[in-house]
Amino acid sequence: MLSASNTHKTNEIAVSVRNLGLTYTTAIDRRPTLKARAKALGRGSKQTRVIRALDQVNLDVEYGQVLGVIGTNGAGKSSLMRVIAGILPPTQGRVEVYGSVSTLLALGVGFNPSMSGRDNVYLGGLAAGMSRDEIDSHFEEIANFSELEDAIDAPMRTYSSGMFARLAFSVAATVRPDILIVDEALSTGDAKFKEKSLNRIKELRSDDRALILVSHAMATLRDVCNDVAWLHKGKLIQRGEPNKTIDAYQEFLQVGKSAAIDEDV
Amino acid sequence: MSNPLQVYEPFRAGLPPLGRYWKSLWSRRTFVAEYSRSELREQHFDSVFGQMWLVLNPLLLSGVYFFLIIIISGSSDKTRYAHLTATLFLFYLVANSLTGGVKSVTAGQRLILNTAFPRIMLPLSAVVIAIFKFLPTMAVFLVMRTILGLPFDVEMLWAVPVLLIAILLALGLAIAISCINVYFRDIASFLPYLTRTLLYLSPILYEAVDLKPTLKTIELFNPLFPLLDSWSRALVHGQVPLMSNLLISLAWAVGIFIIGTYFFLSREREFAVRL
Repeated sequence: MLSASNTHKTNEIAVSVRNLGLTYTTAIDRRPTLKARAKALGRGSKQTRVIRALDQVNLDVEYGQVLGVIGTNGAGKSSLMRVIAGILPPTQGRVEVYGSVSTLLALGVGFNPSMSGRDNVYLGGLAAGMSRDEIDSHFEEIANFSELEDAIDAPMRTYSSGMFARLAFSVAATVRPDILIVDEALSTGDAKFKEKSLNRIKELRSDDRALILVSHAMATLRDVCNDVAWLHKGKLIQRGEPNKTIDAYQEFLQVGKSAAIDEDV
Repeated sequence: MSNPLQVYEPFRAGLPPLGRYWKSLWSRRTFVAEYSRSELREQHFDSVFGQMWLVLNPLLLSGVYFFLIIIISGSSDKTRYAHLTATLFLFYLVANSLTGGVKSVTAGQRLILNTAFPRIMLPLSAVVIAIFKFLPTMAVFLVMRTILGLPFDVEMLWAVPVLLIAILLALGLAIAISCINVYFRDIASFLPYLTRTLLYLSPILYEAVDLKPTLKTIELFNPLFPLLDSWSRALVHGQVPLMSNLLISLAWAVGIFIIGTYFFLSREREFAVRL
C-alpha cells in the first residue's frame, strides 16, 4: 500500500542503488508504423535507437534525507526515478527499495483526459495499488489542496497545464508514502501554489520519510535539500552537500566541460 | 526491518515471475471495475438513451443485413433473422474487444510512464467494457426470440460455454493487438478492414451448413467460424453444438490467449520506453 504504515528510523536505508545500468531500445519515430517499417525495408534505414540512460550509478538514500537530483536534460534523472519507482527494470545492477514509493514524475497523473479529475485520481490511485477506501479517505484533502473546486468533476482535457500539475502534486503529496519522488513538478503552477507546494515539501521533510526531488530550480534545492546528487550522461558525477554540489554543477554549466566528466569511473 | 522490500534486478528474456504478477493483478481488480465503469459513464452508457443506442445499433444493423439477405437470396424466415441477430451480437462482443483493446496500452501512456502496475490490466478492462456492452443486447435477443415464437429448449444452455470461449478469445485478441499497436501504431487503422473481413467470413449473413465444401477449408483459419456456428446452434436452433466445433473454437481461444499473453508479458516491461 502507498500510505506510510511503518515507522522508519532516521538513517535507515530507504533506497539502495547498486551499479545500476539502464540501456534501452526505443523507436526513432514518435509514432512507429507498419507502413514506415515496410517502406524502410528496401532502404535498410534504422527504426530504433539504443539509448544508454544510466551507467554504473551507485546511490543510497536514507530516511530523513531530502535528496535533490540535478543534471542537464537527458542526464538520466527521470530514468533513474523510473527505475526506483519500479516502472523501468534495470539492465544491470540492483535496486532495493525499503518502503512504499509514490511518484510524481514530470507527466503527472491523469491518463484519460476525457474523464474527470475525480475519476483520474481514483484510477491513478487504484493502478498504483491503493484500495478504494484509502483513496476515499484522502480524496477530500487532495481536492482541497489542489484548489480545483468544481473543476475536479470536469473532464481533464478542459484543464490548463497549471491545473493539471496542481492536481498531480496534490495526489502525490497527500497520500504520504514512505518515499516520495517529485520530478520537475514544482516549477509549474502560479507563484502562490508554488509556495504552497514548497511548504508542503518542507512539511513532508520529516525523519521517517525520504524525499527525492528532481528539479532545475537550484535555489529551491539549496533551500530544501540536505543532499544533492548530480547526474551527467547517465553517470553520477558528484554527491554531497547541496551548496557544494550545486556550485560545482553551475560552474560546469558555465564552463561547459569539467574534469570530473572526462574521468572514466 | 519490517518495511516492505522491493528489489528490482535485470530481467531475463521471457516472462516475469507469474505468481507475483498474478498477485499484483488480483490486488488491482478494483481498477478494472472502476475503469470500465468510468469509461462506460464517459461514453454515456449509464443513461437510458446510451443503453438504448447500445441495443439499437446492432438491431438496426441486423435489420439492414436482413434486407440484404432477402434481396440477394429472395427469401428468408424468422429463424434466419434470429440467427443473424444472435451471431451479430456475439460478433460485436469480439469486435468491440478488438477496437477497444487496440489503443488501450497506447492511450494509457501517462499511467504507464508514471506508475508501476501490471500493464495487462488495460486490455483486460477493454474486454470488460465490451462485455458490459454485450449484456443488454443479450436481453434484447431473448425478448426478440420470444416474440418470433421460437421454442425455448434446455439445449440453449450450451450457449454459456460458447460465450465463455468467446470471451477468452476476445481477451486473447485484445491483449495481442494492444501489444502490437505499441510497435505499429497504424494497426488501429487496419482494424476496420480486419473486422469487416471477419464479419463476412463468419457464419452471420449465412449459416455454416449452407457453405460450399470448398470454402470450408478457408474457414479452418477463422477462429470465429466454429464459435459462431456453435452459438447459433445452441441459442437459435436449440441444438447441441457439434463437439468438434466446440473443441476447435476452444483450441483457437486458448491458443490465441496463451500466445497473446506470452507476447504481452514478455514485452510489457519495455512499454514505458516505447510510448
